[in-house]
Amino acid sequence: MTKLNSFRLIKGERIIDAKGGDVLERGAILLQGDKIISIGREEDVIPPEGSQVEEIVYENKTVLPGLVDCHVHLNGIGDGRKGDQLNLLPDEILTLQAAKNARTHLFSGVTTVRDCGAKNSTTLRLREAVEMGITVAPKLVLAGRPMAIIGGHLWWFGIQATGPNECRAHVRQLVKEGVDFIKITASGGSTGTSVPLRPSFNLEEMNAIVDEAHKFGKHTAAHCTNSQSMINALDAGIDTIIHGVYNEPDGDRSYRPDITERIVDQGVFLNPTIHQSRERIWQLEEKSQNQKLNPEEVEELNTTKEGHEQRIEEVSKMWEAGVKIVCGSDSAWANYKMGRFQADINSHISIGMSPMEAILSATNLSAQSCCIDDQVGTLEVGKNADILVVEGDPSKNIDDLWNIVDIYQDGNLIDRGNYI
Amino acid sequence: MVQKNDFKLIKCGNLIDCTGNAPVKNGAILLESSKIKSIGHESNVIPPEGASIKVYDYSKYTVMPGMVDCHTHNNGFGDGRLGEELNLLADEILTLQSIRNLRASLFSGVTTIRENGPKNFTLINLKKASNDYMVLTPRMLICGRPLSIIGGHMGYFGSEVTGIDEVRAETRNLIKQGADYIKITATGGSTQTSFRYRHSFNLDELNAITSEARKFGKLTATHCVSTQGIVNSIKSDVDMIIHCMFNEPDGSNKFRPEIVDDLFNKGTYINPTLHVVRATIWDLLNIKERIGLTGSQEKLLDDRKRDFDIHLNNCTKMIDSGLKFITGSDSSWSSYQSGNTVYETECLNMAGLSNMASLLSVTKEAAKSLDIDDLVGTLEIGKEADLLVLNSNPLEDISNLWDVKDVFLAGRYIDRGSEKSLKSIRQLRPSLN
Repeated sequence: MTKLNSFRLIKGERIIDAKGGDVLERGAILLQGDKIISIGREEDVIPPEGSQVEEIVYENKTVLPGLVDCHVHLNGIGDGRKGDQLNLLPDEILTLQAAKNARTHLFSGVTTVRDCGAKNSTTLRLREAVEMGITVAPKLVLAGRPMAIIGGHLWWFGIQATGPNECRAHVRQLVKEGVDFIKITASGGSTGTSVPLRPSFNLEEMNAIVDEAHKFGKHTAAHCTNSQSMINALDAGIDTIIHGVYNEPDGDRSYRPDITERIVDQGVFLNPTIHQSRERIWQLEEKSQNQKLNPEEVEELNTTKEGHEQRIEEVSKMWEAGVKIVCGSDSAWANYKMGRFQADINSHISIGMSPMEAILSATNLSAQSCCIDDQVGTLEVGKNADILVVEGDPSKNIDDLWNIVDIYQDGNLIDRGNYI
Repeated sequence: MVQKNDFKLIKCGNLIDCTGNAPVKNGAILLESSKIKSIGHESNVIPPEGASIKVYDYSKYTVMPGMVDCHTHNNGFGDGRLGEELNLLADEILTLQSIRNLRASLFSGVTTIRENGPKNFTLINLKKASNDYMVLTPRMLICGRPLSIIGGHMGYFGSEVTGIDEVRAETRNLIKQGADYIKITATGGSTQTSFRYRHSFNLDELNAITSEARKFGKLTATHCVSTQGIVNSIKSDVDMIIHCMFNEPDGSNKFRPEIVDDLFNKGTYINPTLHVVRATIWDLLNIKERIGLTGSQEKLLDDRKRDFDIHLNNCTKMIDSGLKFITGSDSSWSSYQSGNTVYETECLNMAGLSNMASLLSVTKEAAKSLDIDDLVGTLEIGKEADLLVLNSNPLEDISNLWDVKDVFLAGRYIDRGSEKSLKSIRQLRPSLN
């Protein structure tokens, strides 16, 4: 535990404060307890006179905010199993898996996650356990159970609501249990009984959910894998669109600049989850190096590649149009294991972001989309000292984000060898 | 996961196989995947020609079997809180605490545990996750939930039953749900609604449970902190008596040599749980040193000291009578934290077991008491390669069991993490005494 009167001076070859400006050469950050109390050029950061200061110097290293992954599923295993199977596991096992994923992600440099849908109370229980000191985790921004229609995407996590009244009741129940935001599956998805090309909730239901959430100061994020669901979400005043795929009901994929324009105008965040499909492509390609893929795998590789290319094209256009694109891995859903958020950050380079822009999408903007930017996301006076130290310079080479040296959470140096 | 034809050669400066034989200097163990393929003096352990072999050089260390702790409660915190408080926590939280305790045990060198009383499905589901390699744990033998009478000890964990039909039904339920053995609270205990000095189940109920368990080849163990519970357990052919305290209904302690004779004749295993009493004493002494004790705490300290001395003395007599004493820590119950099993072995040593007998009480004999000696407990050809590597020799001083260098589970080297995190596992002795 950090003590309130303990000072720590962190000096770095480079500091990326993630406020959008240039890299600060030879910078320093002064921490008091869990907070940043000063940041700037080395010579300008002066600890209070007579105070005991622990000084840590990171030569040739870059200091930046802890990463913020705005889209995880802590229950997931990332071994390709479908949610239809995953949800059959008992809550105790899903909670154990959530704790394991949380630890893995934290040790990989992610100090804040937003969980976009878990079964029953599993993630809320995990947070209780963290508060009790039973286990370690990044800061948790939690949806608890996602809002779904009967048979809709993720329905087996515990909510199937029909009509504005039931929708409002479920939002109130979630808020009562302590969730931080409301996740809505506004379209179908990989859930077997859902219809991915059609919207799920009707507009009046969407309105009720978003309105009720906003009343309590909770933000909303909607899973949208078709155009109509995006329109509904926008009509309802959604805060984040997840996936945001331009599918028509007949399966046609046709980009809709009018919808993109609305996203920009309404200031809605887009979490495009680009790497999720690329992770699968990488796995199949790696497998094909050692053995012959079977016909189903060849088919899967081809369709996934095709979908991924379309995705890059779409999201590139959205980025160019000025959409606020935020980084959220969607791990450990489908085939994407946790602890590999950097791969999703890297995927933002392929839609035209500079390395610095990709970093902002995974720190500052991502924190904004999670409504936690008053605490994390940038290195600024008054914010929590969630700090990542890496070898190299990720503002030049984004993959330097993999080269973790140290991680601080609320001013504490994380012991990445703590397996208990 | 261990690959087939995956060979490891473990060089052992001092090899204690825990069969009871003398240690071997310059020994070696050849592992094939999870099992011991060959063992003995290094000159006699010859790896197969042409096989690729990973060598672990422990020629400056002692190698022995991983420890077997026949009595654990993994839901707990070992911070002195009552079971009544513990059981108010959500099952998911108890599960997360359990995995933390299980890792602490494993990292401390305990490669097999028996779980003696968790809530609801917490350990049943945790064991499923472990079997599917989702979490790393020692080998686990679980009771599911302890059988209790209404208001009896640990009844709050979920299995309160009455009458021979209900006790049979719940025994069957537990076995269906995955229980490896049946734990019964045959007397009251620390549970406030229970009667510590009285037996709980009637003899016909106890008989129904043990006969039902035996029918399915499951062992039984009874919690007994008063004499009538021990007497009933002997009549019901219980396999292990836990605590084995000779308290009379009026609270007095009267050692009963004739009961000890019966236990000897039946070959019943005794798990005396000495340190869990001492852990409370240590806890109070720590508080005394830090902030001082209240009047009621002072009284509790005196009572516990007296309980401990009486029990220690009785244990010495039972050991002298030839009873089979087993290390079962009872952690993380009461003030006894997981990963500190060795304190109990030290207590058995203090009660009169020789260093070798103390060592066997946490290896070979413990495995026999759990009926898993075909798998673990000694280092012999065909057994599972659960290994404990120590910096020093426990036959010289049993406390050297603390001095862990490395742990192997089923032939797999266990990455135990940072020194700092490992150090946090050990509970410290109070400086006062």
